[in-house]
Amino acid sequence: MQLKEIPVTGIPYDQIKIEKVPAAPEYCERPAELIPSANRAVVINPNRTCMPLGAMWAVLGVRKAIPFVQGAQGCTTYVRYTFCRIFKEPAVIATASFHEDAAVFGGRRNLVEGIRNLVVRYWPELIGVVTTCSSEIIGDDMVSFIKMARANLRKEIGPEKADRIPIVLVNTPSFAGSHVEGYDRASRAFVETLATTKGEPNGKVNIIPGLFYPGDIREIKHLLRHMGVEAIVLFDISDTLDAPLEPPMSVPYYPPGGTAVGEIRDMANSLATFALQPHAGQAGARYLERKYGVRAVVGPPPVGVQGTDAFLKALREITGKPIPKSLLQERGRLVDSLADTLHHTMMKKVAIMGDPDIVLGVTRFVLEMGMEPVALAGGTASKTFVHDVEAILAEAGYEGEPPLIINGGDLFEFEEYLKKQPRLDLIIGNSRAVDISRELQVPLVRVGFPIYDRFGYQKRPIVGYRGGEMLLAEIVNSMLDYQYPDDRTQQL
Amino acid sequence: MKIPIDVIPERAGHLEVVEIPACDRRTLPGVVSQRACLLYGARWMLAAIRDAVHLIHGPVGCAYYSGTVRKKNYRVFSTALGEKEIVFGAGQKLEDAIREAVSLRPRSSAVLVYTTCAVGLIGEDVEAICKRASASLGLPVVPVNCPGFGGVSQGKGHDVAAAALLEHFIGRAPAGPPLENSVNILGEFDVQGDLKEIEQLLQRLGLNIICAVSGRATVENMARAHRAGLNIVHCGRTGRWLARKMEERFGIPWRKVSFFGLAETAAALQAIAAFFNRPREAAWVEKEAEASRQRALPYLRRLAGRRVALFFGASRMGSMARAFGELGMEVVLCGSQFGCREDYTESRCCLGRGTPMIDDAHQRELEEFLHRYRPDLLVGGTRERFMAHKMGIPFLVFPQETSPYAGFNGFVNLAREVAALVGAPVWRLGNNGFMREEGEEMVASKYSVKPL
Repeated sequence: MQLKEIPVTGIPYDQIKIEKVPAAPEYCERPAELIPSANRAVVINPNRTCMPLGAMWAVLGVRKAIPFVQGAQGCTTYVRYTFCRIFKEPAVIATASFHEDAAVFGGRRNLVEGIRNLVVRYWPELIGVVTTCSSEIIGDDMVSFIKMARANLRKEIGPEKADRIPIVLVNTPSFAGSHVEGYDRASRAFVETLATTKGEPNGKVNIIPGLFYPGDIREIKHLLRHMGVEAIVLFDISDTLDAPLEPPMSVPYYPPGGTAVGEIRDMANSLATFALQPHAGQAGARYLERKYGVRAVVGPPPVGVQGTDAFLKALREITGKPIPKSLLQERGRLVDSLADTLHHTMMKKVAIMGDPDIVLGVTRFVLEMGMEPVALAGGTASKTFVHDVEAILAEAGYEGEPPLIINGGDLFEFEEYLKKQPRLDLIIGNSRAVDISRELQVPLVRVGFPIYDRFGYQKRPIVGYRGGEMLLAEIVNSMLDYQYPDDRTQQL
Repeated sequence: MKIPIDVIPERAGHLEVVEIPACDRRTLPGVVSQRACLLYGARWMLAAIRDAVHLIHGPVGCAYYSGTVRKKNYRVFSTALGEKEIVFGAGQKLEDAIREAVSLRPRSSAVLVYTTCAVGLIGEDVEAICKRASASLGLPVVPVNCPGFGGVSQGKGHDVAAAALLEHFIGRAPAGPPLENSVNILGEFDVQGDLKEIEQLLQRLGLNIICAVSGRATVENMARAHRAGLNIVHCGRTGRWLARKMEERFGIPWRKVSFFGLAETAAALQAIAAFFNRPREAAWVEKEAEASRQRALPYLRRLAGRRVALFFGASRMGSMARAFGELGMEVVLCGSQFGCREDYTESRCCLGRGTPMIDDAHQRELEEFLHRYRPDLLVGGTRERFMAHKMGIPFLVFPQETSPYAGFNGFVNLAREVAALVGAPVWRLGNNGFMREEGEEMVASKYSVKPL
């Protein structure tokens, strides 16, 4: 179904439609040795972005916190633009505004002045300093710069006010790792800087959700509430990046919610730390375990029946609280849905792309649906990804053709491989896969980071039993839309 | 006259109510700037050139973000530099990447190599590598030197891109007599079909567009661009420099016009017709403008006296301010992220004294302005949009997302969309919730939104 006419005067849609610039005017056979990205110097349509984004994402989950990016203006603008498009929310991120002089003389002046300007303009409760490739290449000594910034701030606004604002440094050189690792490093930097004292046990659990959306974090809180478990969610973007419209508001504007600085300080006293996405958040959990003996529970992402089961079981084990009837009923409803739609999902060929944790979580879930994965592309290279996928396939007793596992490759490789497949029914991935899905005429179910071309996915969970039901419905319906004529969808 | 909002002392002069604001200066570090970098500017200018390979030479993030320009997706190639290259040099990787990119996309006519901060800092001789690659591949491999920290804003990126186009693409075909009735449009990006609207109008004057830089620029049509009779400059920031250079080099005269708003469009078409010495062929222009005004009239009635604040890229300030004037709206703020003196002077003329003009405003200043003035509409880019929404203020994205705003049809679209936006129920719902009913005083009710 395509709209032919735009609703206002002018040019029909089909003439102004978004153009995909094809790799070649028409498809041509590529040199086979250049298709796997491991054989190439060039990366075509990367499936990951740079570390600073992950760190900024994290800082925005802290109450009244502002990320300060030690780099050129674009490093901030592009990320703000990305967040705006995904969350449909303002994203306040400050930039050190590197110009040529900073490239030559280093970024000290930018940081010291910048922190001061940021404080007097916005009065944040925390500043997360995020480095970029330029500041890392120049070799900015960030630790001493931050000390200077603090000294300068004490002079300007008095020690009392100045010392009330913690500054957390997250080193994120953009030429290494990806946004996933940026988040991971932020999780460690925050607990290392703030959670410095072991005191009375607080009886809570720490949750480091990883790059999950506000809807997911709300769903996790729902599970915790029903379990009767109190938690500290580190980088709680559920309200900061999904804020209500209730004008008029005061200036400067801060969204409600977020993890309070006091809560982060208290994280060393919790029962355990759950890093729900092993690649994004493990570092923080492991640090707390090593340093303060707070047990680390790393993954699996609570997606699908077994993923959520694992999360709840671990919670039960650590807190000693039983899994309540209400959650068991939610589980039952998800399992019922799996049974009700099995005839649509079983034996369907699916390709999954995105961040490794999302791919792992979703893979396990589609195997629960009886689907057959064809290709699994994790954008960030990881030591454990291939092994994890194989473990999940083995656990599910999967006996089909083994899928192509792309560990850190680009989307070109993914696309070229899919083009050669005799059959593909579905792609699950983020908005970066839109072109591939159009080209192959296969439906795309949007999951993970980033989703900017549809509305509401940031509010709709994929985690937990209820999130699983929503994701399942999305998967089934999109295949119905693509594959079945109307008269066959009347009684499903 | 009083400056309407608090500005940090270091930014004095960037906000003026009578004069031209200070501009083309560095952004203060630490403020939440709305500006972007050189690479952003260069991509904005060059992304639409479709028969070239676009290779971002830098870390993978720069390529990832460069995949989207003006809400369109593009295929990007990248060298995705890692720690190894940062330490030991990225030259070999760039050479390999160029060769592989061309072999994977064999029908390309050129390669554009964008440099980034990382490459600028490690100091590779990208130019030499491109020259070598160009010789061995037999097609232009063009360096676009745009490390993010260069210049003060994305504006410089436009300049770098324009220079690259002039140097390597424009007028590369053999010289020849001017093609009859042919024009180029410089600084037109074909947002949501704008170019098509403009083209239809020009066709009625009997004119053809050879190339539009860069909404419809290909390596092939840029090569022929030197044979146009006239260069039409639409966006001044990106087009004016190119027009001057093309005049110097190829003797092509140019006119700066605007196709936003009825009066401007009509004036533009008449000026163009006059240039080609055929004023009679423009006889329909006035009539067409009037007809469009009639079509827009129902919306104009709803917009009369409403207050609009404009904040977007540089040289469209003036012409958009006029277009909003034609909608019957009062422009209460005119600002830009990276305007130059010329842009501000031009828009000051159509604003009059007392209207604040602001250069390089940051988030806090815009917030404060919206909070105190509560205009009926803010026009700007995506990053300002959601801030305005949180304050309950209608927002129009420009460059637009729905339909063309250029030309006569475009004006009707603009009127209709602005009227629908400003009058939409959501703003009332946002402002008069339960609080009013329960008699609770709202925090800043003296700035309440005008009832509809």
